[in-house]
Order: sequence, then structure tokens, then C-alpha cells
Amino acid sequence: MDAKKVYEALLGLYPRDYRDRFAQEMLDAFEEALEQRRQRGYARFVLAELAGLFIGAGFEWIAKITADPAVRGRSLPDRLLTRPPGVSWEAHYGPSASMIPEEVRAAEQHVDLLVQRMVYAISHHDFERARQYSNQEREAREHARLLRRRFHLAE
Amino acid sequence: MRHVVQRTDGDAKPLSEPVLLILTSLAGQPRHGYALIQDIELLSGGRVRMSTGTLFGALRRLLEDGWIEPFEQEDTSRQKQAYRLTGVGRRQLELELDRMKQLTRAGLARLRASEV
Repeated sequence: MDAKKVYEALLGLYPRDYRDRFAQEMLDAFEEALEQRRQRGYARFVLAELAGLFIGAGFEWIAKITADPAVRGRSLPDRLLTRPPGVSWEAHYGPSASMIPEEVRAAEQHVDLLVQRMVYAISHHDFERARQYSNQEREAREHARLLRRRFHLAE
Repeated sequence: MRHVVQRTDGDAKPLSEPVLLILTSLAGQPRHGYALIQDIELLSGGRVRMSTGTLFGALRRLLEDGWIEPFEQEDTSRQKQAYRLTGVGRRQLELELDRMKQLTRAGLARLRASEV
């Protein structure tokens, strides 16, 4: 059984906004830890990680249901607000999104990251940094748009 | 109705162990997820092996509270998001370490007194 695949599947238990923000980071950290643990206590490590995911997902759902959305937005900006204008929900999040070339996906992830950083900076009243991120985001979004055009994808 | 409780220095609760370890680890330098796991294991003398589920849940809450913030590393892959302490986070860590120091001092004094 592939531990990484099981881990990826269990990440699906988390709320969507949490997954959008942290799933890739969690998977990266898990893979690095897995490499280190292959020699010692592998099975115990994997079991502890999977149990951690179950418990963590439960806590995150409770947090999502009980938290003030404005407070939660400080750590998890609403991805619906980060969808570029004119790009349909399906094109941005739907199953066909998995057909998008890696280059385009990376460019769009970079836009998302910059938006998250900008929102975070604004929520902490760091407007100078927010402006920097806003400028970077504008350039990154244009780059992503041109890539979509190059690959004949809906813009 | 949802309520937001603002934590202040006066009514600060003791930090949970994962939070204390994360803040202590970040007090040295900004770190990303796996570097935090490794450093926390080192800090705790191998006693604590934090799972990724626990680590990232705690990171989300710390981001929400404004105790840590994303840190942009220029010379590494952008996929690896690092985090660093904010001024508020540093203050909270100092308060917690002061509290522990005070408790340790009081506990040791009582132990010594009971030995006499």
C-alpha cells in the first residue's frame, strides 16, 4: 500500500479552504519525513501520521463551523474571492482543472499565493507590503493569462 | 451568535505544548513545515515527534492569531512556505517562558524546603 496515496486521500477529509491553503505543504512535509523514516519505525510513523490527519480534520471542521469567517479569513482567505474575474468555477476548480499543464497550474498557484499574502498583509494592516504583493499579483496574473492563451485554455 | 475573544497579556492562558514548541523553534529563524518537525524533535530531545496534522493545525491557529506570519524566502522553491514569529508571537513566547521560569523557581524552592 502506498502511504503517500493514503495520506493524500485522507487530506480530502479536511475543509476545502484548509486543503487549498495547506494540503500541498502537508504533503511535502509528509514526503520528506517519510524519506527519513524509511530506515526506522516506518509503520509506526505512518500510523501516527494518519491518526494525526483524522484528528486534525475533525478539529478543523469544528473550527470552521464555530469560527467567525472574518477571523478565519486571516489564515485561510476565501478561495472563491481569489478566482480571476471571467474564469468559470469549473475552469478554476473543477475536474477539468486537472488537465491543465503544469506550467499554467504553477503560474496560477503563484497568483493564489500572492493573493493570500496580500490578504494576510491587509488583515495585519501592513499596507506597504500589501501594495507590493498587489503589484506582483497583477504581473503574475497577466503572465498566467498569457500562458492560458498559449495553451488554448479558457481565460 | 459567534464571539471573538481577544487574548491580552493579562488573561493569557498557558500555551499548549505544540504551540510552545513551534514558537520556540521559530524564535531561532524562519522555518518551513518539515524543518519545524525536525527542529521540534531536536528541541524536545527526541520526546516529541509532531505529526503533520498537528503541526499545520497549530500553524493555522497561530496565523489566525497573528503570532506567526508567512515568510518569503528568496533563494528557495516557492512551494516551501516558511513561517516566522511576529512581534505579538515573540511577546507571547516571552510571557510563557517567564511564567515557566517563575513556576520552576517556586517548585524548586518548595522541594529544597521539604528536604531540610
